Amino acid sequence: MENVATHDDWKVCFSELAPGLVLFARQWVRSSADAEDVVQEAFVRFWRRNLSIKNRALLYAAVRSAALDLIRRDNRRARREVEVFGHAERTVQPQFEQLDDSQRELVAALDRLPRDQREVLVMKIWNQLTFAEIGEALGISQNTAASRYRYGLGNLKKTLCPNDQPDATASASTT
Amino acid sequence: MNDFSELEGELKKLRPTRASGELISRIEGALADAAQSNIIRPQSRLSGSDFRINWLGLGLGLAAAATFLIVARVDLRPGDKTKAEPAGGTLASATPTLEQRAAALPNYQPTGLTQVVYGRHDEGLVFPRGATQPARRIWTAKRETLRWRDRETGAQLAISYPTEEVTLIPVSGQ
Repeated sequence: MENVATHDDWKVCFSELAPGLVLFARQWVRSSADAEDVVQEAFVRFWRRNLSIKNRALLYAAVRSAALDLIRRDNRRARREVEVFGHAERTVQPQFEQLDDSQRELVAALDRLPRDQREVLVMKIWNQLTFAEIGEALGISQNTAASRYRYGLGNLKKTLCPNDQPDATASASTT
Repeated sequence: MNDFSELEGELKKLRPTRASGELISRIEGALADAAQSNIIRPQSRLSGSDFRINWLGLGLGLAAAATFLIVARVDLRPGDKTKAEPAGGTLASATPTLEQRAAALPNYQPTGLTQVVYGRHDEGLVFPRGATQPARRIWTAKRETLRWRDRETGAQLAISYPTEEVTLIPVSGQ
């Protein structure tokens, strides 16, 4: 594989990807500073290997891997790592610019989503990855990625509009 | 099937906070360092070999081997003394002889190994150091139980301990 982007235009590529990448990294770490550290490590690692910037699945997999490494460094024992991985569901607070009241409500509902659904939503909506790319990055099938996306949206809708007709698919657990 | 287009539209209106300007300059510095050191880029590799000698590990290993040889040599001497003693004599020895050790070992024979996998997690794609292609990292938690049985007395011995294993499975890139 060769780098499609040249050394000069990595800044252009990165500038476009950075907000989404940092938001994606926030799924695992608690602060923006940690998220930026993770993105830096992953991007440099990715770039050094001359991987194509067009291979976004590998780039996001690198971010995920760097985030897991960070968690592992902070928590030497694997058992602790699993615990932290679970706690991440409650501590992640994706950051968005200039929210009004309804948007704050939406972000709060997003925070309450299960991690597997939320990470697919983040990759799809704010990083514009295809389900095939999401599946490759997360090590799941394309159909599973699409299912998690639908479940996530369904659960969001249920949280925001509890009086609406319950959606059978959204209430099911994810695959 | 529900139409989520309105909700998707609302979500897309949310703008993630921009990365700090410092992040780009930090990455620029890191990439510059990488370009200077030429460590990982494929064209910088010498003769295509990934073999590197870990001098610290090698040194420690040699030191351990030397220590073992010295201890083993010292260990043999009490055994010689025991042979030289008269048959009725008693000799207090802190280090048993090789014969005593062999006699002390029960006549155990391994009878089984059980591995119970109680945790398995796919951690996704990773980039191992020095690797040219990504790999999938699988974390597995197991409990292994080893069993022995004494051929003469029928006594059984079992040791059980938890283990954790991380497996890297190479995957082909795009």
